[in-house]
Amino acid sequence: MFERALNIFWILLGGAAAAYAWTLGLVGPSVPDSGLFPFISALIVMGAGVVLLLRSPVEAAAPDFPRGAALARVLGVAAGLAFMAASIPYLGFAVAGFVTMIILLRAVEKSGWLFSIALAFISVVVVVWLFGQVLGMTLPRGPWGW
Amino acid sequence: MDAVGGLLTGFGVILTPENLYLCFLGSLIGTLVGVLPGVGPLAALALLLPITFTLTPVGGMVMLASIFYGAMYGGSTTSILLNIPGEAASVVTCFDGHQMAKQGRAGAALGIAAIGSFVAGTLGVIVMTFFAPAIAAVAIRFGPPENFALMVLGVICTLYMIGGSLVKGVLMVALGFLTAAIGIDVVNGRERFTFGSIDLSAGIELLAVVIGLFGVTEVLSNVERIVKSTVVTDRIRGLWPTLADWRASWRPMLRGSGLGFFLGLVPGGGPVTASFMSYALEKRISAHPERFGKGAIEGVAGPESANNAAVAGSIIPVLSLGIPGNPVTALLLGALVIQGIQPGPLFIAQRPDLFWGIVASMYVGNVFLLLLNLPLVGLWAQLLRIPYRVLFPIVLLLSVVGTYSANKNVFDLWVMLGFGLLGYVLHKLEYDLAPFVIALVLAPLLEQSLRQSLAMSPDGAMIFLQRPGTALMLTACAVLVALMFRRAKKS
Amino acid sequence: MKSAIALALLSALLATPAAAQSGDPKAELAKLKPKDFPTGPIEYTVVYPAGGGMDVTARLLAKYVEKWSGDKIVVNNRTGGAGMVGHAYLATQAKPDGYTVGVVANLLWGDAMLRAQGRWAYTDLEPIAYLNSDPLVWVGPTDGPYKGMSVKQIVQIAKDKPNTVRVATVPGSMWEYILDQVEANSGAKFLRVPFQGGGAGINALAGGNVDIAQGFFSEFRGLADAGKVAPLGVAAPERLSFLKDTPTMNEALGGNEYQWIIIRFAVVPKGTPADRKAYLGAAINAAMRDPELVAEYLKAGVYFDPKLTDPARMEANLKAYAEAEREFYQKTGRLK
Repeated sequence: MFERALNIFWILLGGAAAAYAWTLGLVGPSVPDSGLFPFISALIVMGAGVVLLLRSPVEAAAPDFPRGAALARVLGVAAGLAFMAASIPYLGFAVAGFVTMIILLRAVEKSGWLFSIALAFISVVVVVWLFGQVLGMTLPRGPWGW
Repeated sequence: MDAVGGLLTGFGVILTPENLYLCFLGSLIGTLVGVLPGVGPLAALALLLPITFTLTPVGGMVMLASIFYGAMYGGSTTSILLNIPGEAASVVTCFDGHQMAKQGRAGAALGIAAIGSFVAGTLGVIVMTFFAPAIAAVAIRFGPPENFALMVLGVICTLYMIGGSLVKGVLMVALGFLTAAIGIDVVNGRERFTFGSIDLSAGIELLAVVIGLFGVTEVLSNVERIVKSTVVTDRIRGLWPTLADWRASWRPMLRGSGLGFFLGLVPGGGPVTASFMSYALEKRISAHPERFGKGAIEGVAGPESANNAAVAGSIIPVLSLGIPGNPVTALLLGALVIQGIQPGPLFIAQRPDLFWGIVASMYVGNVFLLLLNLPLVGLWAQLLRIPYRVLFPIVLLLSVVGTYSANKNVFDLWVMLGFGLLGYVLHKLEYDLAPFVIALVLAPLLEQSLRQSLAMSPDGAMIFLQRPGTALMLTACAVLVALMFRRAKKS
Repeated sequence: MKSAIALALLSALLATPAAAQSGDPKAELAKLKPKDFPTGPIEYTVVYPAGGGMDVTARLLAKYVEKWSGDKIVVNNRTGGAGMVGHAYLATQAKPDGYTVGVVANLLWGDAMLRAQGRWAYTDLEPIAYLNSDPLVWVGPTDGPYKGMSVKQIVQIAKDKPNTVRVATVPGSMWEYILDQVEANSGAKFLRVPFQGGGAGINALAGGNVDIAQGFFSEFRGLADAGKVAPLGVAAPERLSFLKDTPTMNEALGGNEYQWIIIRFAVVPKGTPADRKAYLGAAINAAMRDPELVAEYLKAGVYFDPKLTDPARMEANLKAYAEAEREFYQKTGRLK
């Protein structure tokens, strides 16, 4: 089921990209134009998707996607990263990182509160020091200045 | 001044307390920068450039150069331990290096990586010592048609690397090409696939892709299964490479050195391309290619040597001609200019102290790095003993910072997450992710050099046959493709 | 010797407005310093990669601004899209609080007018100080069939044998525009080979892969000194003091429209408080009067445009240049 969905996705993606590339123009005066390479690549994606779709009923092995608790952990990690990316511009790196780490440690792996807070705090401090001070990189700051 | 005399001058320059200290400092920083995921030599050099203002030209250049090749030593560490590339040139080391770590052989992998780096780095400097000007004179004639032929060779090597379904592999390559097209078409300045977004107009950041596709994917896959244990479930079997490892590795090291050096010379080549092509070469030559991707030590020895040799190769055009082949060497050039030194063909003649000082420092630096990295192998291997539930949030935190460091753009974090999820799904459905990454790396230069070649040729496509180097490489490609079909037919 | 003369002329030029304010520059600058500013490092944003001409300019500038103002300056590269990403960042995302200064070039006008698609305009960035000007130079080979020829001769060949002379160009920018002008005026037809920057084209020239390259003095100086390439024509109003024997493109081809110059200046995002803006500008101007910095810049092969060196008239004249460029785009159909 997943295989088929993915293959159809390839076909749609390839088709859409090919159409877009067509509008960019394929051939200029004797030289390939902007659209040519993407067009060919998109056609290959589409073609490969078709081949895979036609083949897939024969291959029976279903991919082992996680269920239950395992799935929750995977989604939890993804959600944690999404939260981090979304909140950095508002909270600054330090706070966003701190909160995200606590979320990951608590929700995904069920570590104790004290342990999570301590580890999150130390990790963020070390990382900010390493990148911010030692390497001189400017990490995003929250509204409180750090 | 002949090579030996020059080298003696160079050692005379470098063997002062101040310069030795700077070489060591640079090696240390380079290793650190290499180990930290995402932050690569370019970022580090850009950040540390102002420090060179207060140093002498020799001191400043020695430090910057040692950061450059130092990063190639450290880069393999997180690749092997955590499947997170330290920087783009260490992506390939993830494939077999991390598998080795999972089998309890992290120490061997790290050791071979360090030694391979040393061998390649030293060999590279030796060649540089004796042949730099001659090589530079040839390298400069490499134009768009030669670049194109080289990239085609690279893509064909990629097809060799594909394990599993060929159709899926080809799809990944094509997808890589498509992804590489997002952004501004360098040949005519038009935006492609950007849909009005400024972030997309800069293209998809390679670092975000590789950290997502390898690092994040690995974490997602691991949290599925590992609840309370560590990354390595087997007993850690010894910390050093065995005799068998040596026997398997020494030839890939030499091959990687040669290949990497050559690719470093070519503009647009460099450590990243070198590591990929070395992996493909080793897999192609191996008697048991199916071992690759499951912990074959050749897959670590070759690429790690290649990326270090490529550093030496890429420094030659800068010092001999004043021509930078990649962003890092462009920065080294800028550093020289800021110091008031004009790099160019006359550089060696006008500033032999500086040129030979830098060359001599590379010998010393490689020794420092070997001494720095080997003892750390034991330490790094112990890192894997940390329970995964503690390790993975730290890994993710580092991934986020590393990705962010590339362009200081939060958009890249979304790219990292997106590719992490994509990689997770594709991995489940048995897609090989490596061809996608290689295509992403090679596509821009391939497309650009093809269109440049056609633009500069009054006779259209004939230019590829008119130039001897190009014709030779393209013939080699044709032969390889023919061999590939023959193999496929047989099996 | 040439540098010394240029230096003397420049000092005289810059001294005129400076003479109006006598006294120690550092003290003068301190008087302009706003309260509570700066409390942290100021970022000088460069939209091109580290090590390039713009980057070197910015880093040299930062070094001397730090010397004269005592403030900490951090040079940051925001690259991508041939400058688009950095320009867009400065115009739309950078906070106008005085902690971000863009070290930019007039190439941003092209980005704003042709490629920004209404997302930002060049007026979103307010110039605070002028740095230097760098003209485009036509560079030819010292080997091969075209060696020793002048611009006029090569253009003639390109006319007689169209599509045989290979020229390195950077699409979407002044490299292309000057070729358009030459071709339109002379009927010549060049074979255009696209590269990502002037430097790449010059390397290709040295390797015999193109016949003419276009670039800036700092990009080809090393190769020229070694005799691998030779400058043929300068797209500036007058000959450069350090390339006395190289004619201007106007001299070589006649007329006066062959002027394509990179103008480097510093900007702040619109809306930056006036006192901070004045202070930042004054700091840069103080650095620009330091003879050491001037000497460094001259070594890099730039010149100082007399229309822009007077801070009082800089903004107006810069705007005039920008509008002249807009007219060029409209005239050549690039802008509707």
